[in-house]
Amino acid sequence: MGEVVVARILFLAIAALGLLAALGTVLSRNLVHAALHLVGFFFCVACLFVMLEAEFLAAVQVLIYIGAVAILLMFGIMLTRNTRGDDATSLSGPWRLPGLVAGLCLFGALVFGINNAVSPSGASPWAGEAARPSLVEREGEPAWAAERRRAVEDMGRVVGEEFLTRYAMAFELAGLLLTAALVGAVALAHRDEVGAAELPPTVEALPADSAEPVGTAAS
Amino acid sequence: MDVGSALYGTPLFAQSHRVDLTVSTCVIWGLWLIVGFAGLFPGIVAYMVWLERKVAARFQDRIGPNRVGPFGLLQSVADGLKLLVKENIVPRSADQVVHLLAPVLVLVSAFLTLAVVPFAVGLVPIDPPSGLVYLIAVSSISPLGIFLAGWSSHNKYSLLGAMRAVAQLVSYEIPQVLSTIPVVLWAGSLSLVSIFDHQVAYGWNALNPPGFLAFLTFLIASVAEVNRTPFDLPEAESEIVAGYHTEYSGMRFGLFFLAEYLGVFSVSCVATVLFLGGGTPLPFSAFPVNLLDGSVGSYLLVDGILLAVFSLKVLLFVFAMFWVRATLPRMRIDRLMNFAWKYLVPLCILNIVFAAIWYEVVVRPGALTARNWAWGMIAAGLPVVLGVQLVFRANRKLAAARAVDADWPTVGTIAEASR
Repeated sequence: MGEVVVARILFLAIAALGLLAALGTVLSRNLVHAALHLVGFFFCVACLFVMLEAEFLAAVQVLIYIGAVAILLMFGIMLTRNTRGDDATSLSGPWRLPGLVAGLCLFGALVFGINNAVSPSGASPWAGEAARPSLVEREGEPAWAAERRRAVEDMGRVVGEEFLTRYAMAFELAGLLLTAALVGAVALAHRDEVGAAELPPTVEALPADSAEPVGTAAS
Repeated sequence: MDVGSALYGTPLFAQSHRVDLTVSTCVIWGLWLIVGFAGLFPGIVAYMVWLERKVAARFQDRIGPNRVGPFGLLQSVADGLKLLVKENIVPRSADQVVHLLAPVLVLVSAFLTLAVVPFAVGLVPIDPPSGLVYLIAVSSISPLGIFLAGWSSHNKYSLLGAMRAVAQLVSYEIPQVLSTIPVVLWAGSLSLVSIFDHQVAYGWNALNPPGFLAFLTFLIASVAEVNRTPFDLPEAESEIVAGYHTEYSGMRFGLFFLAEYLGVFSVSCVATVLFLGGGTPLPFSAFPVNLLDGSVGSYLLVDGILLAVFSLKVLLFVFAMFWVRATLPRMRIDRLMNFAWKYLVPLCILNIVFAAIWYEVVVRPGALTARNWAWGMIAAGLPVVLGVQLVFRANRKLAAARAVDADWPTVGTIAEASR
């Protein structure tokens, strides 16, 4: 039973650190510090994935959330005027109440969604306690133990198969959403070429004998 | 490592990666940590610096370090001592905690990548079933550290360097990851050990047309990932002082230095494992691995051969990087971005399709035969050549058809650049 106690202590420590990091994200005055706390929180989530024997998901968590999302956040901060990140960025008076209401609504939606999530065995969701089946094959084990063993041993393949069968719809929808966001971002960032072309070309500024750029005439 | 199952099983069969947490495993992990990660790898880095100075000196018709010890061999020790005892200056306006955290993040990222590299049979620190994803994940932490270094220094050159670094690293990460997909496809596994086993059975990955293209893309993207010339814009001395580590001195600068050379070493190791068959000396034979018969003597012999050849290949890569550094000038930032997004990324995406052709023709039948191999060379080789032609031709057309008024300088003409 020693392992169970160690696992529980580890879980509590990681969860506590994660909560602290989350609090730090909300409470820091400096935007870059808040983003750093968020990175710490993502790392704690990755640690929890490792404790659930899903090291593929942990690696993906680090890759996507720390390697991509956090970096994009930093880029976003650098593109604003406030590059030190220490302006007073907290919400001012009249916006505080709507913000609070929106936050509580999101919390309610998440609690409802997690509470009613479909659990594989039909057991009571997340409130009960269940022992993990052994990774070594045994007689009389439930049928899903073999499936779980396969998932633990080669999670990349199992996740891929689930994405293309059971969750194909959600996967494609997420892809569509991201593509739409990408196209939208390009449309926003794209400068109006027509307006630029109507301006008189600055050919006069060039010396008269400057050669025609190679290839422009041909195309 | 179970070579037998990879040789005789189907490619779609995944082997077990379980580890029993016994005392001997703990001892082995402890040895890896103390001997490998705290002793051997930093030592290798120290002598890589010595080697680079010697090689660069030869290229420039100089002698290089030759005062401290025979051939200047103790120069790295002296340099290390110097860095350790140097005063550590932190600017008063810097963000103190983040300023300390940044080099640590970069160094940790460089060390963690080495944890899944199989140096020889059984000589791998850990072998998770998704080792390659782990590798990519931990190496994606280093842009964060570099960014924080530049941001926390409160210096405009640092911030400029950091922005350049992050833009470059994020861009080149994409072709680097995409070029490993063919390897994963052929081996049917993300584990680096399984990838090594696959190459023992089917020949080195770099020796077929899609694999060669992936190998070249991987090499170029990796050189950019470790900020080496010609991709050293983040620390371009002639433009932005020293980029993101302008405000670093003493051992904190030493950590950046260590991380950079460690990155060169680990990238060379990963390229060797993914594309050059790890430590196997002959491309299409299982030569040292098939000598394994379970006895300790054969094990030592095989690992000795594998380790020696592995180091030779890594040394080759490292030398190639020094060579490139001594030869090529720095790239311009717009060409750097163009090269990643307009050449490497389309090539990599096309290459995944070519890799699928090779998989169908050569790997799927179950064993390597000369007939399948010849067919594969034709069926996958032609599309590869055509694909490279297509990408380069399309890019030339695009660059030529570019409006003269473009605000972003393109690979361009003299008239544009002089504006």
